[in-house]
Amino acid sequence: MAVRVLVVDDEQDFLDSIVKRLELRGIEVDGVGTGAAALELLTSKQVDVVVLDIKMPGMDGIEVLRQIRVSHPGVEVIVLTGHASQEFRELGRELEAFDYLIKPVRLDTLLERIQAACQRLGADCT
Amino acid sequence: MVLTALAVALIPLYVLGAAIYIYFASAQQQSHRAELLDLAVNRANAVQLFLAERTALLEALAHTASLDRVDEPSELAGLLRILNQRQHSFVDLGVLDADGRHVAYAGPYQLQDRDYAGEPWFEETLARGVDISDVFLGFRGVPHFVVAVLRDDEPRPWVLRATIDSELFTTLVRSGQVGMTGDAYIVNRAGTYQTPPRFGGGILSTAPFDTSIAPPGSRVVLRTLPDGRRVLSAFSWLPSKDWLLVIDRDPREPLAPLQLAWKLALVGLAVGTVLIAGAIVFHVRQMVGRLAAEDRKRVAMEAQLAHSARLVSLGRMAAGVAHEINNPLAAIGQLAGLMEDLIDDDFMRSSPHGELFRTNVRKIQEHVDRTRDITHRMLGFARRMEPHQDTLNPNDVVEEALSFIEREASFREVRITRQLDPALPMIRSDRAQLQQVILNLLNNALDAVSNGGQIVVATRAIDDLVEVQIGDDGVGIPRELRDRIFDPFFTTKEPGKGSGLGLSICHTVMQQLNGSITFDSEPGRGTTFRVRLPRETM
Repeated sequence: MAVRVLVVDDEQDFLDSIVKRLELRGIEVDGVGTGAAALELLTSKQVDVVVLDIKMPGMDGIEVLRQIRVSHPGVEVIVLTGHASQEFRELGRELEAFDYLIKPVRLDTLLERIQAACQRLGADCT
Repeated sequence: MVLTALAVALIPLYVLGAAIYIYFASAQQQSHRAELLDLAVNRANAVQLFLAERTALLEALAHTASLDRVDEPSELAGLLRILNQRQHSFVDLGVLDADGRHVAYAGPYQLQDRDYAGEPWFEETLARGVDISDVFLGFRGVPHFVVAVLRDDEPRPWVLRATIDSELFTTLVRSGQVGMTGDAYIVNRAGTYQTPPRFGGGILSTAPFDTSIAPPGSRVVLRTLPDGRRVLSAFSWLPSKDWLLVIDRDPREPLAPLQLAWKLALVGLAVGTVLIAGAIVFHVRQMVGRLAAEDRKRVAMEAQLAHSARLVSLGRMAAGVAHEINNPLAAIGQLAGLMEDLIDDDFMRSSPHGELFRTNVRKIQEHVDRTRDITHRMLGFARRMEPHQDTLNPNDVVEEALSFIEREASFREVRITRQLDPALPMIRSDRAQLQQVILNLLNNALDAVSNGGQIVVATRAIDDLVEVQIGDDGVGIPRELRDRIFDPFFTTKEPGKGSGLGLSICHTVMQQLNGSITFDSEPGRGTTFRVRLPRETM
């Protein structure tokens, strides 16, 4: 079974294009614009890897990550943000994010990290 | 400050010295006056006694002899011998009748039959029975005085007269002389010298002062001589004769030993002043120097803090800008990437510009990558401004620092040679601070070399230390400036070109990191800075 990805980002142009590109590569992917929507979607759908922005209106990425760790322990999270602050990086590490990437990244790089995260889950990541 | 300290230390010393001197001088003067008065009274008593004895002798003689015996010159000469047996104080003896005629004479002069009627002493003797004359020249023209007593026989009273050896008398008075300039003499009420003074005139001349300044009895008076000298005089009136015994003394003379003490004290005072002044100046200078050094240190610290704060805020601003740019940049990158993904064979065939589209969409992504490199470097810079401990390889820090100057170095054709030890251990230190130090040193090296010069960067491990060397073949540091290059605000660059803080900051940072910074320099040949760091900062 292919890897299932959820992208969470409040930047609509970025979200739409990256979702579309992942779909073009045959990946099962959803995209949501807020932390609340992400958590809601996770309750109804099986997801392997979450690509998560930090600075978002409403619930921020760190809070989303914290709740995922509580409610969905089997999910890997890759932080993808424009903010390089050491504080967020430390928090991400504490909350066992799989990786912390600074925007912008090439899609190839992101895909490679998604594959790696998926492999850590022991899932079938084609 | 120095003056205040000097005044506080020295004024009490001077006041004390002056007070002690004045006190002792005054005490000395007092005792000197008392001594002088004692001497005068003592001499006056001695003179009085002398005169009284002579008078008593004559009186005894006159009342035991009879006129018919004493008018024999041989008899009279015998009596003179008896009188002078104990002390040769009588020069001659004479017997006068009531009319003042010398009826008999014994002595070295030819005075027989001289007439003394009308002489004051003769009249006085007739009137009062005894008299001691003032000194006078007499018939012989030699100063002398006489003692005369009256034998009141009826019907022929007679007078016995004797001349007193004026030398003996003068000696008696002069024994009251003291010191080199002291004088002792007798004047009568009219001020005529009755014995010769040592200075200022002979016997029978007039003394240069009015005897009325001498009150009855005895008294010490400070008076001024005609030549302007001051003299301390002890006056003592003889009780039985209208004579004033005077003892003069220079008032300064008894103070001479005190003068020596005063000179010694002055020398001591001068030496003390010099020592105290020296000590004060030395200590005050040291204190001021220390304060100035503290002040410089504080200024340097503040400058460094301000510099750090500036860098931190600059870093935050850079980070803020980078964050804001990263989000739209990410969108641009993905949108362009999506466009590239969607360019398929159909699109290429249907549009004559298909190839151009594909190329440009790729170029957009390449430019996104370039911009990302910039924003990521800005974020890294910001992160480096916050103090923390990193595990780092000094070679990496050197490479990062070099990346900042390589552009300018290549413009100026400065060759950069790396001699980095690949086996260098990782160390725990503050990456940002270390990078700032190395960057400052590299910038200095770049400023020091001429176009086409060379910079050598080397790293190596020494025991528990890691060393980074940055050498250049530039102008070098003049010998006289070597002590000052780490001082804050010291710069040899043109005004406005250098803050003078670079090396000062390096020095402070290396202290904070428990490391060290040293240098070798040879003017004209170049300079090498050595930065040494412990493997563990803590």
